[in-house]
Amino acid sequence: MSRSTTRFDTKKVNSELVTLTYGALVAQIIKDLENTDDVSKQLERLGYNMGIRLIEDFLAKTGTGRCLDLKDTADKIQTAFRMYLGVQPNVANWSAAGDEFSFVLDSNPLTDLVELPEDLKGLKYCNIICGVIRGALEMVQLDVQSWIVQDQLKRGSKH
Amino acid sequence: MADESLFDFLHSEIVNYNLECNEIKNKDTKDEDLSTLEYIGFSTGYRIIERLTKEMPRFKDELDTMKFICTDFWSAVYKKQIDNLRTNHQGVYVLQDNGFRFLTKLSSGRQYLEAAPRYVAFTCGVIRGSLANLNINCLVTAEVQNMPSCKFHIQVQRN
Amino acid sequence: MTVYNIYIFDKAGTLLYYEEWNRLKQSGMTRGRGGKTNSFVSKISPTDTKEGFLCYKTSKYTLHFLETPSGLKFVINTDVHSQGVRELLQQIYNQVYVEYVVKNPLCNLSQPIQSELFKSNLDSYIKQSPIFLSKAL
Repeated sequence: MSRSTTRFDTKKVNSELVTLTYGALVAQIIKDLENTDDVSKQLERLGYNMGIRLIEDFLAKTGTGRCLDLKDTADKIQTAFRMYLGVQPNVANWSAAGDEFSFVLDSNPLTDLVELPEDLKGLKYCNIICGVIRGALEMVQLDVQSWIVQDQLKRGSKH
Repeated sequence: MADESLFDFLHSEIVNYNLECNEIKNKDTKDEDLSTLEYIGFSTGYRIIERLTKEMPRFKDELDTMKFICTDFWSAVYKKQIDNLRTNHQGVYVLQDNGFRFLTKLSSGRQYLEAAPRYVAFTCGVIRGSLANLNINCLVTAEVQNMPSCKFHIQVQRN
Repeated sequence: MTVYNIYIFDKAGTLLYYEEWNRLKQSGMTRGRGGKTNSFVSKISPTDTKEGFLCYKTSKYTLHFLETPSGLKFVINTDVHSQGVRELLQQIYNQVYVEYVVKNPLCNLSQPIQSELFKSNLDSYIKQSPIFLSKAL
């Protein structure tokens, strides 16, 4: 194999590559499906498919054990955000019953370079992340619902 | 973003999405339509090269550009350099990667060979998009005989 | 020391993969000595109970069991002297299963593993391990 030296910051390139590829994919799905809700659903589904594989990669790389409780789960998802998206979300808004919480992302690499036109205002652009979380947790025997509360593209943040 | 496997998982899902669309759209035809995948790659390539080269001096000529694609660009995106670049000096270039990123986990040989075109189409688009942004219009096709090796054929279109 | 065989099950208990290296003549031998087929079963008891890992020793072989948090089960049978098998199973999960099954989009995660690349990597992984190598001693 040849050397893999490059003048570029490969981490940054990798990050931009994901952002741009994801953007191109979303644009294609919008073209294929007319209904914005269907596009959001499709993105969630793609995320789910990624999540069921990504979880194994995560478990292997971190050597992590079973989650003790939902707080522990939240911590581990936080780690995963850092590992795969390079951002550290805050865990917030725990429900009284302790069965619901939010991740708040100050910055989201997926939406860097993205601006949504007026007619796509209903689109949940980052719904793929909800899908990844649902898929990943299902594999560790946790059935969850994951949704976007607020969106930076429409101002605010998530889950 | 820290972890490169995210891009691999995303790419796999784009391939799956295209496959599902094919099954719905053209049930009757046996030939797989890879144009959507190619186009998603084109959009990605067109935009990533813009970001990578914006602070670089202009390339001397076509061959200089190709060399850049084979070395810095390939390393940044595919984690290794192209192993072999050949040209007839009349606008045909053949880039050979002996361990192509999207094939290394599939097979070392001919198992799953029938699926290989799906895993190189996005990259054909990436090359075409990158070169288009650098004012080189071309056709890009890929040839896989023995995984994980892949040859990309670039034919420059001169008007 | 030696490795006899390996089983991989998914979380539903479906057998995803089986491979053997040295055939275990256990049951045949026991029966030949006068039908004491069950004699070794009574000796079974877990000897190592770290999280997700169990190890059962019989007079003839040791069964090592690793379950990942995602419910995948790896079972490997070795002779009774083998050491460090938990680490071996963990590495097989990390470096062979995740790399060549999870990252191979053509492998369906709930179906038996068909990938030859996985098979050959697992084989060389096992054969390179000290547990397998020391067989010659």
